[in-house]
Amino acid sequence: MFHVAKATFIRNTRVMIRAYPWSFVIGHIFSGVYTVLFAFFAYHYVFAGQLDENFAHLTGSSDYLSYAILGGAFYAFAVSTLMNVSRSLITELREGTLEAVLLTPSLRRGYFLGNVAQQLMRTLFEFSVIVLVGAVFGLTLSHTNVWSAVLVWILSTGAFFCQALVLGSLMLWFRDTYITQNTLFAVMAFVSGVTFPIPYLPEWVQPLGLIMPLAPALDAFRQCVIQGAPLHAVSPQLFHMAALSLVYLVIGVWGIRRMEKRVMESIFG
Amino acid sequence: MKQLGSLLWAEIIKEHRHSFHSKMIYFSLLVWPVINFVTAYYSFAPFRMGGDSPLARFISYEQLPLYLLTGYLGYIFYWCLVQSSWQMSFERQAGTMEMIFISPVNRLAFLYGRSLSSLIEGVWLFFCFVLLALFFVDGIRLSGWWAPPLAFLILLVSAIVWGGFLCVLFLFSRDASFLYTVLDEPMLIFSGVRLPPMAFPVWAKVISFCFPLTYALQLIRELLMERASLQTMLPSMGLLAAVLLVLVTATVVLLRQAEKHMKKTGNMVMY
Repeated sequence: MFHVAKATFIRNTRVMIRAYPWSFVIGHIFSGVYTVLFAFFAYHYVFAGQLDENFAHLTGSSDYLSYAILGGAFYAFAVSTLMNVSRSLITELREGTLEAVLLTPSLRRGYFLGNVAQQLMRTLFEFSVIVLVGAVFGLTLSHTNVWSAVLVWILSTGAFFCQALVLGSLMLWFRDTYITQNTLFAVMAFVSGVTFPIPYLPEWVQPLGLIMPLAPALDAFRQCVIQGAPLHAVSPQLFHMAALSLVYLVIGVWGIRRMEKRVMESIFG
Repeated sequence: MKQLGSLLWAEIIKEHRHSFHSKMIYFSLLVWPVINFVTAYYSFAPFRMGGDSPLARFISYEQLPLYLLTGYLGYIFYWCLVQSSWQMSFERQAGTMEMIFISPVNRLAFLYGRSLSSLIEGVWLFFCFVLLALFFVDGIRLSGWWAPPLAFLILLVSAIVWGGFLCVLFLFSRDASFLYTVLDEPMLIFSGVRLPPMAFPVWAKVISFCFPLTYALQLIRELLMERASLQTMLPSMGLLAAVLLVLVTATVVLLRQAEKHMKKTGNMVMY
């Protein structure tokens, strides 16, 4: 399995460097940086630092800039993980290599592990750049509980990976990446508390946030960074994330297997 | 003129067949813009609102939904063209770019025809949504019955000129998606779609005045929200006209350069 993972890792890194020169990486970084800029302008120049009375009550802190900047950085991280993993099979299909991937006796687990490891390298880079830029524009990192934050970050990668399996199946089903992924990302940005706390939304919209791993992941990560919360303090969010991951994993594995069969029959058969 | 008309019509049919082959297109036409608009509205929720909010220095609290609606309408007009120009790279991939440039067709007519057709195809649904939404929001203060058609015309003309300019930019590059990132979201932040540029620091104001959407939105809001007379708007109109003139000139010059560059490097069919 690790041979396959290593081979996939090396191949994907070469593809990234040689064929698609940084456009996705730069795109994700810019996207996070723009969220940072919007928060900075709105807070300092338009609203002169004045917040709604409920904000501190809902978030446990009155540090809006850290709240919004972490939201932007984490959203970019989620989008990047979802895109890189879910697009892997349909990209193979488009580039003509899917048949070879499916015909080799390599373990699919190893293939996806290689993909995740490769994209971890990318997202870590993207995330670090956004957080660094955020620190210039007002993100406070001095209270961070580093180990809890790192662990939440790693667990979130797992959760996004499971969600990406479902997204990948849908992409193969619709033979589309553009509409499927962007619709999901738009809904995620709206219901997961990226730039504003979820309770501000109408009550009938709020349950949508419950099915997105981004919402509990972001909540836990913010608590670890802004308030320095230890891991056990965010255990409800971690359990929520674990439950969602399990559901997405089951649906995703089933979906990918089904789609592989369908692709084999309809395209290569 | 007849040739121009038939070229325009051909481009509209091509764009229509290219985009409307599946119902999924309605996501990008309506669902995304509406979700983005609503997300932008709620992004203001953490701040202090009401009559004594610092926001009132730039926009009255009651006019915020209208401010965002007009902002997003303008943004969607321009966004369609960023997207359409980005799709120029598909012409390169599909090998049709070479055919277009070998044919004796007027290059500028092709560029502006492409912009016009993708614009009309891309905005009609969200435009209808905004028209409907205008009935439910407060703060509309029209300059006159002629204000909405004039606002539409300003958006249409400025967006087409912007689209033509972008198409030329995208002719230079094979990996054009980078330009998409640089041109799309900064427009959303700096052009006054969600935040008033007058609130920005000087360096951000300089960036915001590089986007024609900033001038167009200012005019549209004067027409729809401030009951401004034509006379008071003359300086802003003159400014927009000057910016558009610069863009058209740049388009003509760059188009020649791009064609020369493509002929020299042979990258018209490379992707």
